[in-house]
Amino acid sequence: MFATIKNRFATTDIEVKREDLYKVVVQRDAIFELIFMLREQYDYQTLNAITCCDWIEEEHFAITYILTTSDRKQSFMVQTMIGREDAQIDSLTHTFEQAEIMERDLHEMYGIDFPGNQNLVELSLENWVHTPPLRREFDTLEFVNNNLSFREGRDGNMDVKKEMKRLRALKKAQKAAAKKAKEEASEVSDGN
Amino acid sequence: METNKHITIFHGPQHPGITGNMSVELDLIGETIQKATTHVGYLHRGFEKLVERRTVIQAFTIVCRICVPEPDPNEANFAMAVEELAGIEVSERVKYIRVMVLELSRLASQCMWLAGQSGSIGLYAVGQWAIADRDLILDLFEELTGGRVYHMYIYPGGVRRDLPDGFLRRLEKVLNHFKKRLKEYDNIFINNASFKSRAIGVGIVSPEECIKNGYVGQVLRGCGIEADVRKDAPYLVYDQLDFEVPTAQGGDVYARALVRRAEMDQSIHILEQVIDKMPEGEIMVKMPTHRKFKLPKNDTWVKVESSRGEFAYYMAGDGSEKIRRMQVRGPSLVHAFTLLEDLLVGAELSDVALIMNSLGICPPEIER
Repeated sequence: MFATIKNRFATTDIEVKREDLYKVVVQRDAIFELIFMLREQYDYQTLNAITCCDWIEEEHFAITYILTTSDRKQSFMVQTMIGREDAQIDSLTHTFEQAEIMERDLHEMYGIDFPGNQNLVELSLENWVHTPPLRREFDTLEFVNNNLSFREGRDGNMDVKKEMKRLRALKKAQKAAAKKAKEEASEVSDGN
Repeated sequence: METNKHITIFHGPQHPGITGNMSVELDLIGETIQKATTHVGYLHRGFEKLVERRTVIQAFTIVCRICVPEPDPNEANFAMAVEELAGIEVSERVKYIRVMVLELSRLASQCMWLAGQSGSIGLYAVGQWAIADRDLILDLFEELTGGRVYHMYIYPGGVRRDLPDGFLRRLEKVLNHFKKRLKEYDNIFINNASFKSRAIGVGIVSPEECIKNGYVGQVLRGCGIEADVRKDAPYLVYDQLDFEVPTAQGGDVYARALVRRAEMDQSIHILEQVIDKMPEGEIMVKMPTHRKFKLPKNDTWVKVESSRGEFAYYMAGDGSEKIRRMQVRGPSLVHAFTLLEDLLVGAELSDVALIMNSLGICPPEIER
């Protein structure tokens, strides 16, 4: 199987990750042909997941299709890279029905378009108008500071680091006071 | 839609027959469902994003919250993925302890299912019993981990604490209680004519659909397909333990119930073997401090069998002390959308809770 993939898809990036898990990285235009081949010739009948990883420094998303054989003993990670700007890759819904919900999830979280998927509507987020939240440039802390406010009366607890420092100093002072008191007590008893 | 004929209602999120914080929008003619649309988002806490801001060990403390009734498969997946990426090998004792925790968690989760499934048709006594029995397992978890629901116990590199003195004896006592109790559940619930009349022939899934659409767990085994990650791609020490993968025929709600019930017997059987075989050894490998612990640039896909089916994690490291990407794929993502929306068409309104419970849908793992 590996030799066929190497020859047909011009890739050397094939890895045996575990006894039950292989991984291959191919060019974007070859990925669906490879998925069909794995399904038809090697019994990878089930699409388990479509995952995405944002490599912002390299300006691409790594999209991974995870396929499993019908006896569920082998899994194959088929990966390709797509550009982060105007990110899009064809939908796999015509082959695997369950791809619809997986693509819908990635569309919402990364803003990736999947031409061919008719149901890329909102999933978990409601009326979201900001940067898709799983993109690396989306900063959760900055979003919270810009868009949310602390409830009145809780302002004093905002700086956790400062509070921890204060508590540590307090504990240290208490310890020192206890030690001093003990020493004084022993001096008194020695004097007696 | 024709006026005065169709009615659209929301089943959930505030509904005793819903499995967690989600809702299903139902288009009805009379009591018959014409169209079902699943809605999630009521419990989105952004775990996958939060993980990116934390060190590996800080991230470990939040993954258990991804599934409330059964947090341990998340901990196991997280630990296994980190260990695989970092090249860490844990001891035999750790593997046995992890199996013990995962099976206890499965048993507790099946008790929750018993409560939900029986409650969905009004057999509330079963639910009260099951929750009380689950508490016995939570007592064990409390003793072992300090937490009843969230354990934060299966730590990358090992487990957080060793077994307390006499723990295995107390575990054995709880298992003996369960062995007696499960027969009573058969009488009051599994063989109950009310349950059979409501569950047989309802919510039927075909084996072909299961394979094609990636359905897992009892949905798959209820169609007669012997599939279980513990057998198909064994992890920890499942290959050294003797157990069966129960299946049933019919693909309906009742078949799924029979499978779950038989799985409780198998979990007890596995736990008894763990008690007998528990080896001595270290419970934690030497790890760098959490600020210095780094994952190499690589990725992996790990999976375990949860009480509701295959539960998997994709994890990628980038050479830093933070995880570049962690993606959770629980059984509920496809079950709550592709499967549930399909199964509800043509079903009666009163069967919605029954069908949902049989699929074991857990919304937090959809909107991670």
